[in-house]
Amino acid sequence: MKMNRKLTWMLLAAMTMAFVQCKDSGDEVEPDDENELITSVTLKFTEQGTSNVSTFSYKDPDGDGGNAPTKFDTISLKPNTTYTLAIELLDESKSPVDDITKEVEEESYEHLFVYTPTPAALLTYTYGDKDKNNYPIGLTGSAKTGAVGDGKLKVQLRHQPGAKNGTPTPGSDDVNLDFILKVK
Amino acid sequence: MLFVRNSLLTFLLALSWIAAIGQQPACECFVKGVVKDRHTGQPIIGATVLIVGQSNGVFTDENGRYELRNLCPGNYTLECRIIGYSPFQQKIDLTAGHEENFNLLEQEVHLKDVEITAHRTDAPSSQPLTTISGADLDKTRGQTLGESLKGVTGVTTLQTGSSIAKPVIHGLHSNRVLIMNNGIRQEGQQWGSEHAPEIDPFIATRISVVKGAAGVRYGSDAIGGVILVEPEELPVDRPITGELNAVGFSNGRQGVMSGTVQGGLNFVKGFGWRAQGTIKRGGNIRTPNYFLGNTGISENNFSLAAGYRRKGLGIDVFYSRFDTQIGIFSGSHIGSVTDLLNVIKNGEPFVKSGFSYAINRPNQNATHELLKAETHYHFNDGNRLQWTIARQYNNRNEFDLHRPRNDSIAALNHPELTFKLTSLTNDVVWDHKPIAGKISGQVGVSTLYQYNLMSGRPLIPNFNQFNIGLFWIERYVTSKWELEAGLHYDYRTLKTYRIVNREKIADHFDFGNFSGTAGATRNFSERFSARVNLGTAWRAPNVSELFSDGVHHGAAAYEKGDATLQPEKALNSIASVKYAAPGWSVEVGGYYNYIFDFIYLKPQPEPILTIRGAFPYFKYTQTDASFKGIDISGSWEFVKRTTISSKLTYLRVYDERNDGYLVMIPPNRLDNALKYQLADRGKWKDGFISIGNLLVAEQKRVPPNSDFLTPPKAYSLWSLQAGTTLKVSEKQQLEIGINVQNLFNTVYRDYLNRFRYYADDMGRNASLRLKWKFGA
Repeated sequence: MKMNRKLTWMLLAAMTMAFVQCKDSGDEVEPDDENELITSVTLKFTEQGTSNVSTFSYKDPDGDGGNAPTKFDTISLKPNTTYTLAIELLDESKSPVDDITKEVEEESYEHLFVYTPTPAALLTYTYGDKDKNNYPIGLTGSAKTGAVGDGKLKVQLRHQPGAKNGTPTPGSDDVNLDFILKVK
Repeated sequence: MLFVRNSLLTFLLALSWIAAIGQQPACECFVKGVVKDRHTGQPIIGATVLIVGQSNGVFTDENGRYELRNLCPGNYTLECRIIGYSPFQQKIDLTAGHEENFNLLEQEVHLKDVEITAHRTDAPSSQPLTTISGADLDKTRGQTLGESLKGVTGVTTLQTGSSIAKPVIHGLHSNRVLIMNNGIRQEGQQWGSEHAPEIDPFIATRISVVKGAAGVRYGSDAIGGVILVEPEELPVDRPITGELNAVGFSNGRQGVMSGTVQGGLNFVKGFGWRAQGTIKRGGNIRTPNYFLGNTGISENNFSLAAGYRRKGLGIDVFYSRFDTQIGIFSGSHIGSVTDLLNVIKNGEPFVKSGFSYAINRPNQNATHELLKAETHYHFNDGNRLQWTIARQYNNRNEFDLHRPRNDSIAALNHPELTFKLTSLTNDVVWDHKPIAGKISGQVGVSTLYQYNLMSGRPLIPNFNQFNIGLFWIERYVTSKWELEAGLHYDYRTLKTYRIVNREKIADHFDFGNFSGTAGATRNFSERFSARVNLGTAWRAPNVSELFSDGVHHGAAAYEKGDATLQPEKALNSIASVKYAAPGWSVEVGGYYNYIFDFIYLKPQPEPILTIRGAFPYFKYTQTDASFKGIDISGSWEFVKRTTISSKLTYLRVYDERNDGYLVMIPPNRLDNALKYQLADRGKWKDGFISIGNLLVAEQKRVPPNSDFLTPPKAYSLWSLQAGTTLKVSEKQQLEIGINVQNLFNTVYRDYLNRFRYYADDMGRNASLRLKWKFGA
């Protein structure tokens, strides 16, 4: 029975070894490059029939939190003018900078941009592109301004996997920005 | 963690014989036996054994033996009280029906072995302890741990849909409630309100709730209370027995199967083992009017245990693995405040669904492994030493609704959040030998080392944490009084590592604190007792409170941590009186819990701007909060076999520093039930039918303008239960139970369900439960 006890203690010692292992979590912390962010939204208004381009951006290079957004431009347009409107999305937290516009284009059948001016008379948006299911996308389109006035332009990117039906209702917001809009 | 060992300890009045020599009217029957610690098998010295209603109690001698003489034939209740153990009672029958036995010679007057088991409890004896076991626990089979505890007064749940439930004790939850799983402090990502405890309730044969601050017994974090999940003792040298449980639920078409086999070994003395496993599959949950898409659940769990006893030495090894995959209701995914306001305005989810078992994104997969070894040694002089080591590995993966847009990254199908938490615990406890048979105590030291590896979307930092605790508790017991006092010191050091602007940043925190407890229990008579306890506990801020920085999408809130937070300190006073007479009983408890530097999310005046729009901005802030409440429970058998029972849970919480209310405090509730006990018929036993009603009030004490939606209206739910046991043979029995929750398919939403913004709560849910026990 002496043997038995010896064996028992040896077993215990062996188990203890199994429980004792130290690791430093600090060695394993690294930036996550799979995590996709949208850090900047740029609206490019090109006055039709000319080469006059005005760009307006929202930029928050480190994403949500951390530092505050570095740029949130006021959109300033001429009255009663038709513009071509293109939108560009970037992830500037990565190096090199990741072009999200391209990703949206590739998966256009589950994305929809929505442009909502308030008051509605300030601007009229018409989609200029369509996905494989013949639903609008909004990467490019035309914007026609109305009479002089101040208001807002809400820019939304609706992410609608498996549910896109041409309306903004399904899905959730990937972008939801209220730009100040001045038509003067 | 020091206390680990005790929760395992149970003990047993084994070899307890009722012997009687009945010279008919003469009162010469006697009862004698031995009191033993079931876990260690060692005799217990100084236990009080008495007959309820009589004053002639005796103490067990140095061999744990007792003898009660001069009893008249009749029915008695034998009671045993031991310091540090919960009291137990056993009915004994010394009536004329056994007369033929009474006339036997003393050596042969062995009526039958009466095996009385009582469990050693670690909980302070002066704090309210509610235990669910036996038939009451059986009724909750198939449910999650959180839901199983809903029937206890003072306990509610914090839910994320129907499949994720966290227990709330006296209004406190998550990191403020400690769960002791088989004697080991459960370590997962408790800070998350959508992270349910990764425990299979089928492992337990007893689930107990200690209400109130219990820092001395269990170390830091036990501010609100402690939940003890305890398996049965190992069946050392017993024949093979087992049970098979099958539960089917109509809602979610959920099925649960769980089996246990256990026994000893014929060729090795002193050996016991157990194997247990559970499988669960469920599909989409239905509210009264629609299905909730992607709310399925899948679980595969198992555990193995083995133990060896030889004289004063005992060794136990335990391994358990919990593996779950839970679908998160797809309609709860929102990108911006506008999305949330739209769902609220719509009144029901935009995403419509039928029934399906498929679990798609968003979902969470969590596994939890526990490996534990415990050894104890009883010295001949009554001292005892116990050593427990354990390793836990918690692996949690959370998948967002949307895959990454980049195809090559999406193809990897990596979770957007991964947490890997490894915890190593080590506890040594010394029970000193009883002093004068009246004072017992223990001294212990425990350590915890843990490290967290996080990957994916930045949420909490990686960290290493080391904790050491020392404690000392003494108890004094007489037949009328039980007094206890104790002290605990904890020291914790925390190192965190996170990435800010692609740079690694390390932070270092040290916390240290004392906890104390003092309590008294007075037994006025065997019917009437009162207890009072003063206890303190503390809790260091957790990593999410220190470092959160981002949008909480479930709550549409921007949450920001504060690295300068100080530990919370709780001072808890709790008192209760209990009166139990034949036919009726009542227990009234009141508590006042004052938490200094209570950590909560304080709304900030300015919203914070993100690419998804402006979000309400909340910052982790400290205040002083008071939690006052009353728990009342009572039952009355007003007609033979018909019992009415009521439970009231009342709580008021106040922010003392800011003169206001706090959010997410469970509303008051009243639970009533009417039960009819059926007479036994042949092989059918313990039949009953009961109807229940749960009234939950509207939570009106909320801070103004703190929420997108006012708390839901009060609701009333009816339920129906029935059950019976079929004694198939001496060694086999079948238990059958039927349960219908939300009988009238009532439409309701609960304030503490985080999905109340998006959808109604679960509709009617009928279940059938079968339990087959064999070899018993």
